[in-house]
Amino acid sequence: MLQRSLGLIVLLMLGLVLAAEPGQAGGHTLNILDRDASAFNREVRGLLVWVMGFAALVFVVVTGALVYVTVKFRRTGKETGEPEQMHGNDRLEVAWTVIPTVIVLIIFGLTAQSMFKLDRPTPGAMVVEVRGWQFWWDFHYKDYGVRNSNELILPVGKPVRFEITGGDGTNYDVIHSFRITSMVGARDVIPGVVTHIEVTPEKIGTYYGQCVELCGASHANMRFRVKVVPQEEFDRWIEGARAFQAATPTDPTLVRGQELYKQQCAACHAIKGVSQGAPNNPDLTFFGNRTTVGAGMWPNVPEYLEPWIKNAPGMKPGVKMPAFPNLSDEDVKAIAAYLMSHKVEGLDFSKLEKF
Amino acid sequence: MAVATPQSTSRMGFWATVWDLLTTSDHKKVGMIYLVTSFVAFGLSGLMAVAIRWQLAGPERQFLVGDAYNQVLTLHGATMLFFFIIPAGLSGFGNFILPLMLGERDVALPRINAFAAWLFVFSAVLIYTSLFFGGAPDVGWTFYYPFSRTTGLGTDFFMMGVLLVGLSSLLGAANFAATVYNLRAKGMGLWKMPIFVWAIFATSMLSLFALAGITAASLTVLLSRKLGLTLFDPAIGGDPVLFQQFFWFYSHPAVYIMLLPYLGIAAEVASTFSRKPVFGYRFMVFALVGIAVVGFLVWAHHMFTVGESLLFQLVFVFFTVLVAVPTGVKIFNLLGTLWGGQLDFKTPLLFVMGFMFNFLLGGITGVMLAVVPFDYQVQDSYFVVAHFHNVLMAGSGFLAFAGLYYWWPKITGRMYPEFWGRVHFWLFLVGYLITFMPQYVLGFLGMPRRYYTYPDGLYLWNELNFASTVGAIILALGGIAWLIAMVQSFRQNVKAPDNPWGGYTLEWATSSPPPSYNFAVQFPTVFKSERPLYDWEKEGLKPTPVDPATIHLPAPTVWPFMTAVGLLITGIGISLAPDMGNASVGGVPGWGGWLAVGLVLFIYSLFQWALRKEYDHPVVHHTVTGKSNAWVGMAWFIVSEIALFGILIAGYLYLRLTGAAVPPEDHRPALWLALLNTFFLVASSFTVHYAHHDLRTNKFSPFKLGMLISILLGVVFFLFQIWEFAIASGHYVEALNAAGQSEAARKAALWFTAFFLIVGLHGAHVLIGGTGLTLAYAQGLAGKIDNHEQGTLEGSSMYWHLVDAVWLFIVTIFYIW
Repeated sequence: MLQRSLGLIVLLMLGLVLAAEPGQAGGHTLNILDRDASAFNREVRGLLVWVMGFAALVFVVVTGALVYVTVKFRRTGKETGEPEQMHGNDRLEVAWTVIPTVIVLIIFGLTAQSMFKLDRPTPGAMVVEVRGWQFWWDFHYKDYGVRNSNELILPVGKPVRFEITGGDGTNYDVIHSFRITSMVGARDVIPGVVTHIEVTPEKIGTYYGQCVELCGASHANMRFRVKVVPQEEFDRWIEGARAFQAATPTDPTLVRGQELYKQQCAACHAIKGVSQGAPNNPDLTFFGNRTTVGAGMWPNVPEYLEPWIKNAPGMKPGVKMPAFPNLSDEDVKAIAAYLMSHKVEGLDFSKLEKF
Repeated sequence: MAVATPQSTSRMGFWATVWDLLTTSDHKKVGMIYLVTSFVAFGLSGLMAVAIRWQLAGPERQFLVGDAYNQVLTLHGATMLFFFIIPAGLSGFGNFILPLMLGERDVALPRINAFAAWLFVFSAVLIYTSLFFGGAPDVGWTFYYPFSRTTGLGTDFFMMGVLLVGLSSLLGAANFAATVYNLRAKGMGLWKMPIFVWAIFATSMLSLFALAGITAASLTVLLSRKLGLTLFDPAIGGDPVLFQQFFWFYSHPAVYIMLLPYLGIAAEVASTFSRKPVFGYRFMVFALVGIAVVGFLVWAHHMFTVGESLLFQLVFVFFTVLVAVPTGVKIFNLLGTLWGGQLDFKTPLLFVMGFMFNFLLGGITGVMLAVVPFDYQVQDSYFVVAHFHNVLMAGSGFLAFAGLYYWWPKITGRMYPEFWGRVHFWLFLVGYLITFMPQYVLGFLGMPRRYYTYPDGLYLWNELNFASTVGAIILALGGIAWLIAMVQSFRQNVKAPDNPWGGYTLEWATSSPPPSYNFAVQFPTVFKSERPLYDWEKEGLKPTPVDPATIHLPAPTVWPFMTAVGLLITGIGISLAPDMGNASVGGVPGWGGWLAVGLVLFIYSLFQWALRKEYDHPVVHHTVTGKSNAWVGMAWFIVSEIALFGILIAGYLYLRLTGAAVPPEDHRPALWLALLNTFFLVASSFTVHYAHHDLRTNKFSPFKLGMLISILLGVVFFLFQIWEFAIASGHYVEALNAAGQSEAARKAALWFTAFFLIVGLHGAHVLIGGTGLTLAYAQGLAGKIDNHEQGTLEGSSMYWHLVDAVWLFIVTIFYIW
């Protein structure tokens, strides 16, 4: 009885997952079974139907037998002599070897079929190079020559091929794992090795990305966003990004900001037309378009951006970016304003639904 | 010592008891060392789990963050796996119960057994010593490379600890295999052994073959940190994924090491508490062996997301789904054992029922994880965490407690309070379900594992995490109920009869607890089934009494303990040594002192041990195979050595054949020197062989001379190797420096790395083998060796021949090819 009711509770909780409503609690609704997000998810759902079907069968049979045994063969104290000393039953043994073998072979066959399907490369897919570092993400649109860190903008309905690696030939890091949670499975980031995964995003929205391989103190803080937008919005983004020229600032705050940026930040960070930086540090060229700061951690608003600039290690343990205690609050505001001034105009991601 | 009266440790004072423990080789006391250590480890690690859940009870809590959290999760995993679930069933219950079930007085090699037990305890001490030197390891129990190369000193202690506990496991496994093979009551064929004995036997063979994987993984990480030697470094063309192949080659079979002994316990408990024989005995045995064999073919299902080819992945999917079949057979046979019985729902049986329900769920989710596209989505998520806790905690863990309550009367001589046993069980079952069922859902809702925190506002994360923490509190209460049950057992002191449950295997044929010599009877030599007490009762056969004064047991000796202490101190020294390429880590002042003291103590104790005869009275041993226990034990141990060289050489071959590692055109280690060395080593095998022959024909002087020559030939070999390495290291450094510019230099650097690693490991084995021969030589000089007691020589000469055979392989693949 206990076992059956517990089983019901489990099913109920699973039901909660399947019925996940978007946008509750103000945050993202992560759901790996989201059937609208990608064909990948639908493929997995299809497989799970079979597996859960067999699982339910096995579960019911074995649990039923357990319950029956508990009830029927309980020692009452009124027994006279020993129970029948059964040593075994060869036919039963064959049955409960062969039937499970058939079941698992069916599961194998269905899995193999799916794997072949998902492994086929899509011709004409847009290639995005992904690099994982402690504790941030780098994206490079190979076909367009555009680089952006921690946030990736993709057109809805177009296949993407992620080519994922760790390190850049000179600097190597540790293993991470790249996962756009509600959209497609994970793929490891391995120094010196290139892995890949393909997906066609089918639903417009902003997707929560996470690192899924223990990589250090801020493994939990190494997040990213993938913004799936209509084709024309993506076209505006990518054309704007390719054509981007860093404007010379005239506003005194921005001038001050640029001056400070060049002194304090330019050694590590890249902004197209302003600083080279180093390839193993985030690119800030389109910082003004970002909706998050600190690698997908906090909203990109002064309330979080300014403390981040001043003291990143205080917010994110183990982060490689140092603290700048010698910067005054006005200095920090200037740098923040300067960073926010770098963007492709005419894009607004604030209304995207969160998956 | 001759046993005139039964031993009674309860009348000894505290210090006498301690000394007794330090000098014992009694399998029951050795089993107690493992049991106490492993259940204490469970409690300690359980508290860590509560700390983890406390941190995760709500979003963005600050109780345990960043590196501190990673340290706790690493220690939690490592402690539970290496120091609770593997040793409790295998070494704890295995040591206490196995000889009793076989009708024997002890295992094949009692003093090695004691040494392995202390080494086990000290390897745990070593890992926790890291807390005093800057912090515990924080790389996860899986210590993936390159992450494990970059972290603090805790990782060095961890690697060293894993190596030592691995050695302890190997010695224990060889011991059990030799015991099952060689020491059984007269008339007990292999097919008349209880299922628990088969389980231990299968697990021992699993361990001997599989441990090479984690030895290779931890050794290569340790050497990477200390000496900069690494096969996995992409900067010189190495492959980081190769680490994972090594690691999981052990760590998947390891989960069957964590299961099989417990399946044995389940069979015993199910049979006893239903008053029926085990259902389908032969199929139970085949299923155990099937799980062990197929379990070796599934390791890369832990690596589905690393980007291996489709074909590679398919092979592992196939075997992964297949291993569910023998596992299912075990559950069905357990059901068959219970079916039609007269079930007495005492605590041991409750835990077995709980196991069956929970393991069913865990097995199902395991098959789900074999569905690769789904695995891509839940790899390293809470779905996986829920799955492995399902099988390890609610599966094997429950059976560990089944075994504890089942054999508690036999081990402690007291009954336990049934009320508290039940409370413990129900709190654990309910607590387990509430802790881990929400975690399955969290996996579907995208929560990754090893995250010390999560943001507010993600759908249902707050609620599910909170529920899981509530479950952990319930589990903690269950732990308290367990402690109360144990304490009350001692306080109430209800004396246990010989056979409180009506069991039919031989451990129930003696007192609770058994006397030091186990049995003061000669058993009938007819074994009709695995339940001798049942069959003899039906046939009217009775054991014949034996006078305890005629029973001789091994003399107590402190040297196995001291040898283990020596290794602990040596391990601390190595852990503290400088880390090359990471100047801020390691090189703690005084490390050399630890190392020196440790080595001296180790060698001194080892020689004292060798010079201490095992028995004060000459004893004649009856063995099933006719070969000595030392011979059989070393033969099983050598399986593990072949596996170790095998796996490392396989890695080397992979790097060679894919063109990543290429020997340098010039400056490669000279072939002529290798051939000269071959002559020395092969010659020494001959001299050892003839010296051994001389001993067997009682020619003591030629024996000693032959040993001395063999040792000297080994020394010459070793000195030439040192010289060769000195030269080669210069060329290695040149290649490393040029690796950035020249592809040939990069490939040569990787080749040199493999060379130093494998040829160096062989050199270490020459050192070990030579030490073994020297021990036998010392015994010869001291007159402590003869035709009847020559275990050290039998073992060390076999080991020496292995070292020579491996050398021939090495010459071929490193010097000739």
